[in-house]
Amino acid sequence: MMSIPIIAQAKIYMSVEQVQKILFPNKQLSKTPIIITDDLQERMRQASSIRHPFQGDRIWKTADGNWLIVDEVVGKHEMITYAVGISPNGSVLGIEILEYVESYGYEVAEAQWRKQFIGKSAADPIKLNQDIQNIGGATLSCKHLTDGVKRVTVLFEAALKAK
Amino acid sequence: MTTRCQALLGTFVEISIDQDEHCSAIDEAFDIIKQVQYLMSFHNPLSELSVINQRSYLAPIAIHPWTSQILKIAQEVHKQSHGLFNCGIGHRLVAAGLLPQHLNLSQYQFGGIEDITFLAPELITSTKPLCLDLGGIAKGFAVDQAVELLMLNGVESGCVNAGGDLRVFGGSSRPVHIRNPISPSQLIEIGSIQHGAIATSSLYFSKRDYKQSHIVNPLAQRESDIHVDFSESFSVVADQCVYADALTKVFALSQDHTHPCFAHFSAQAIRIST
Repeated sequence: MMSIPIIAQAKIYMSVEQVQKILFPNKQLSKTPIIITDDLQERMRQASSIRHPFQGDRIWKTADGNWLIVDEVVGKHEMITYAVGISPNGSVLGIEILEYVESYGYEVAEAQWRKQFIGKSAADPIKLNQDIQNIGGATLSCKHLTDGVKRVTVLFEAALKAK
Repeated sequence: MTTRCQALLGTFVEISIDQDEHCSAIDEAFDIIKQVQYLMSFHNPLSELSVINQRSYLAPIAIHPWTSQILKIAQEVHKQSHGLFNCGIGHRLVAAGLLPQHLNLSQYQFGGIEDITFLAPELITSTKPLCLDLGGIAKGFAVDQAVELLMLNGVESGCVNAGGDLRVFGGSSRPVHIRNPISPSQLIEIGSIQHGAIATSSLYFSKRDYKQSHIVNPLAQRESDIHVDFSESFSVVADQCVYADALTKVFALSQDHTHPCFAHFSAQAIRIST
């Protein structure tokens, strides 16, 4: 079934470069991609109940051992790109939302549809509802994001800590 | 303009300021919201709210000035709404699976916000066991604290939005859209807000996620009247977000936009029918 999704909100808050400056001001980050084995993928899935695979190519490290990980959570009704800063001892230094796309109509998880949003930067905003900034209404739950952060901390314990 | 978003208070909190400087003020404002969350979270068994729920009927408890402030506001709205607003409904939400269970509910006859006595400005006790949930007021309170901190730090104008409860401050006026309760992906422009707040209660996300209504009637006599079901959207505009937030419950429960409570708090009620 392919129906056109109705997009209520598509917001890009910031780019990866901008979040690097917010979470690690005045620090140089180097990209440190990781190969995610099936075993690790499974452990992350179990810890977080997030099904879509984690991509290991959006990981950065500072010279003093801090990490920045960018990930997405894809729910039935929304897709959120977020960044997590982690200290060398594994404590979460900060979590920032980079993009928030909300839709109804069919699963946002549909890969083809998602593709048009991934990798956009704040300098290249989605041309949708840009004048709609202040949205009131019933409270949205951030549970998916909490699950996402869980899988990032599992990634740290399993694959980054020893590096 | 700078806009940032973090997941706090169980929802998405957006802070937007019109100036490009003062970026560190946004960090501080998020920290304030984290502190409100730390004090007032029902989920965290170590929060000050949880301590109040565990022990306030056993011994006096010293509380943070913000907790004191929010409890006083909750008592004020409780009084003015003749009991329609009451934070002492946590056990109802626990029983419905909407909040985690920290106490054995069947052991207690719970009182309400009216059973709290202030022994000193920051020292309280309760005459009955309590199961308070500040979910109906803490988001608005956190928004106000963040706004006040931003203004103190010299931010001229902006907006703080905690999952749909928002406050616009400073000179600029901002258009505000609220979700159409029939189809929450559609937005209705309701006008602009300058120096003011709006909060909304509606059940479209609860229904979408097959959850029991979180709008609880504290005066319900029968089991079937506890969780109130409706399909409209109830918004309240007020000077401060804490009042807007609390008063949406009075509006949703009374279904009366002329309830004297709104005039008392200089608030306006807006219903979107389906």
